[in-house]
Amino acid sequence: MRHPTEGVLRRLIDEPAGVADPDRQHVAGCDQCLTGLAAARQDADLVGAALATEAPVDVDAAWRRLSAAAAAAPAPVPFAAPSRSGRVRALVRRPAVAAVAVAVVLTGAGTAAANDWLQVFQTEQITPVGFSTADLVALPDLSAYGDLQVTSDPGVHEVADAAAAAAETGLTVPVVTDLPRGVSGEPVTSVGGEAAATFTFSADRAARAAAEAGETLPPTPAGLDGSSVRLVAGPGVVQVWESSVGAPALVVGRAVAPTAFSSGVPFETLRDHLLSLPGLPDDVAAQLRTFSADGSTLPLPVPEDQVASSSAEVDGAPATVLATRDGSMAAVVWVDEGVVTAVAGSMDGDEALAIARSLR
Amino acid sequence: MAVRERARGAVRADLDEVFRRDYQRVVGVAARVLGSRDQAEDVAQDVFLSFSHSSVPAAEAPGWLAVAAAHTALNLIRSGRRRASREEIAAAAEDTVVSDVADAVVTLEERSRVRAALARLPHKQAVALVLRHSGLSYADVATALDLSPGSVGTTVRRAESALRKELNRHASSD
Repeated sequence: MRHPTEGVLRRLIDEPAGVADPDRQHVAGCDQCLTGLAAARQDADLVGAALATEAPVDVDAAWRRLSAAAAAAPAPVPFAAPSRSGRVRALVRRPAVAAVAVAVVLTGAGTAAANDWLQVFQTEQITPVGFSTADLVALPDLSAYGDLQVTSDPGVHEVADAAAAAAETGLTVPVVTDLPRGVSGEPVTSVGGEAAATFTFSADRAARAAAEAGETLPPTPAGLDGSSVRLVAGPGVVQVWESSVGAPALVVGRAVAPTAFSSGVPFETLRDHLLSLPGLPDDVAAQLRTFSADGSTLPLPVPEDQVASSSAEVDGAPATVLATRDGSMAAVVWVDEGVVTAVAGSMDGDEALAIARSLR
Repeated sequence: MAVRERARGAVRADLDEVFRRDYQRVVGVAARVLGSRDQAEDVAQDVFLSFSHSSVPAAEAPGWLAVAAAHTALNLIRSGRRRASREEIAAAAEDTVVSDVADAVVTLEERSRVRAALARLPHKQAVALVLRHSGLSYADVATALDLSPGSVGTTVRRAESALRKELNRHASSD
């Protein structure tokens, strides 16, 4: 029989009962697998030791702190001079809406990809997860299918205001003229530079990835093995407003649309082949679909059971309106001359569209 | 405009119970990422504050809290919002309890390298690694990250291999 994958060997260390009997029997009698198992165990122990922390906590004191914070709650955190925990809170509070908007702005680039995006929607009422400003501008992880070299790191960070964001990104930062009810004050503005990476496809590695997923690789089109493509996303800017009760209420983002450049085979050939590969993770596939050769098209990964999608127009450009079926959140996204803009918030589709159309 | 109901200040009734049951574990998840108990407690407070206004079913709370803590802590180290390294090392020295894994001797400096490497891992790999080392089962990690159970081992293995290389690289260049 074929050797079990590294993943199976790894699980054997933690949860032997979770590994199928034939795999266990094979490993017990296979020198190669036993060597792999030993290496996996060594790495697991080393990393486990490096990550270990066993500091006891005072649960009662922590509970008093939380109770006080919850009672004081919606007091907005002053972003101008955040305390240490305020900074944490700022990250946590932005959350769902921000995640949606950024997912839309960059259409699935980074953690805001289909899977995470779906999770955001699943837990939209509450989730503080899935969004990092570091993911404002990000690229799909294609490392399992070839050589991915990141040539430009976006270095996402907060800036003082729209003027600073415009100066750093070269983008026209959208100005919201009429804030929706319940939203006031100044937004928190973050920017990211250009993220760029060069990906070289390897048929060999793709075959291995497929094998790990227990699948067989379809034939590789001629000329594809070893061909390179350059993926570029950003720069981008995102503005996040909190509602009067401290929840994230409105997010407006703009970024240079994800684009791919290819020197050899047409990018679409490579992209479509990658998309056809068995075992390609859904999030990577969703990210990949957002890249087009000219940056003009923008397919959106939409979890249809939870989000309704419709078409509209913003300043003459075709726009997509996404609204959660429970009516709690909506986003509008459109592309104009290679720049994608998104408006999202705790509102319905019509409100989001009205804000999108009123942007200056 | 439909501002979410929960955000108006209603705190869920089971908060006390869930907090007392899961707080230590949530701090543990964040501490594995941050290497500092103080910072980990800040993260845990924020995670529970979000949870207090949420409608996450109680049965799903442990997984939700662990994932939220991992994401939030990773976001912190990735966005470079950590304290200055001197403070950080002091904090780590104060918090760190030597592991009982006898064979693996890991210095403080190596711990800090591991965390830097953790910040560079693909997000999902890093979260899977931290959740696994925080004691979540493969099935729980798979559910939390929307992975197939079969790919959790592969994801964790890749992350561990990357971190080990990071440690070796520095060890051999010293």
